[in-house]
Amino acid sequence: MEAPQYVAARIQQALAEDARTHELGIHVDVRGDQLFLRGQVSGSEQRERLGQVAHETAPDLKVHNEIKVVDVSEPGEDEHLD
Amino acid sequence: MSTLTDLRIAAVGDIHLGPEVRGEYRKRLHGIEDRADVLMLAGDLTRHGTLEEGRLVADELRDLPVTTVAVLGNHDYHSNQQEAIVGVLRDAGVIVLEDDGVVIQCGGTKLGVVGGKGFGGGFAGKCASEFGEPEIKNFVAHTRSIAEAWKVALKEMDADRRVVLSHYSPVKETLHGEPLEIYPFLGSYLLAEAVDTAGAELILHGHAHKGSEKGLTPGGIRVRNVALPVIGKAYAVYCLD
Repeated sequence: MEAPQYVAARIQQALAEDARTHELGIHVDVRGDQLFLRGQVSGSEQRERLGQVAHETAPDLKVHNEIKVVDVSEPGEDEHLD
Repeated sequence: MSTLTDLRIAAVGDIHLGPEVRGEYRKRLHGIEDRADVLMLAGDLTRHGTLEEGRLVADELRDLPVTTVAVLGNHDYHSNQQEAIVGVLRDAGVIVLEDDGVVIQCGGTKLGVVGGKGFGGGFAGKCASEFGEPEIKNFVAHTRSIAEAWKVALKEMDADRRVVLSHYSPVKETLHGEPLEIYPFLGSYLLAEAVDTAGAELILHGHAHKGSEKGLTPGGIRVRNVALPVIGKAYAVYCLD
């Protein structure tokens, strides 16, 4: 059986290299047959695509997609550099 | 409150625009002329670096009411369309820096901006050096030549204030939150060393989505990581008092 560290590395590589995602900053954890994805992306579609690519890369694992969508808010307070 | 002599710099990196968010970022830029004098984009404007995405970014940034300066990031190079992306951005009125500089007249002040994508290699004492296989030498030499170009551009620039715009980080403080193991892929101290030598007031970068906003070069120049997930808003505004 493939060690979970190598499975996680393979999924992370797929998320970075798959043309649908190209997301470099996603944290991937494998525990038994459970797969956890964590990180931040700019839209819910990207989050869903990441879950899909992870699932296709490791179809036997149950995907827990805990990726957060960053809400781009209005610009806030200025910082004065004096 | 800003005074008339302040320079207000709006900055953001890693906007990673794609077709499903078309028009959304532009909405967030509404009213920017009341908040800032210039907008700086610290690379990774696209997701895959396709020309289609480049055109989308150009449309979002087209003819803004403030001067807009950008550099590309590693994602913008992925499809080998970087030159075409630079072209469509320039056609949309965006100044794109490629290891060179521009002087912008802001009221009575000449604001000099130098920058480019930057590159990695790591930080002093824990970095790659030009030794061994050609692949490693090329990696480090790429960063070194970029740093040298920035130093020359800063030194030769006739400006009242100087700001550096990069994608990769010049310091490790603003990477805090990222795994230590990937620091060498997130930036290089050679960039900070060049700017410390030539002088500037502020360095803006992106790339490190899980990093921290604020840092300092060894020479005392303020560094700000403006990656969108770090600042969590459409852009941050820094006032040079």
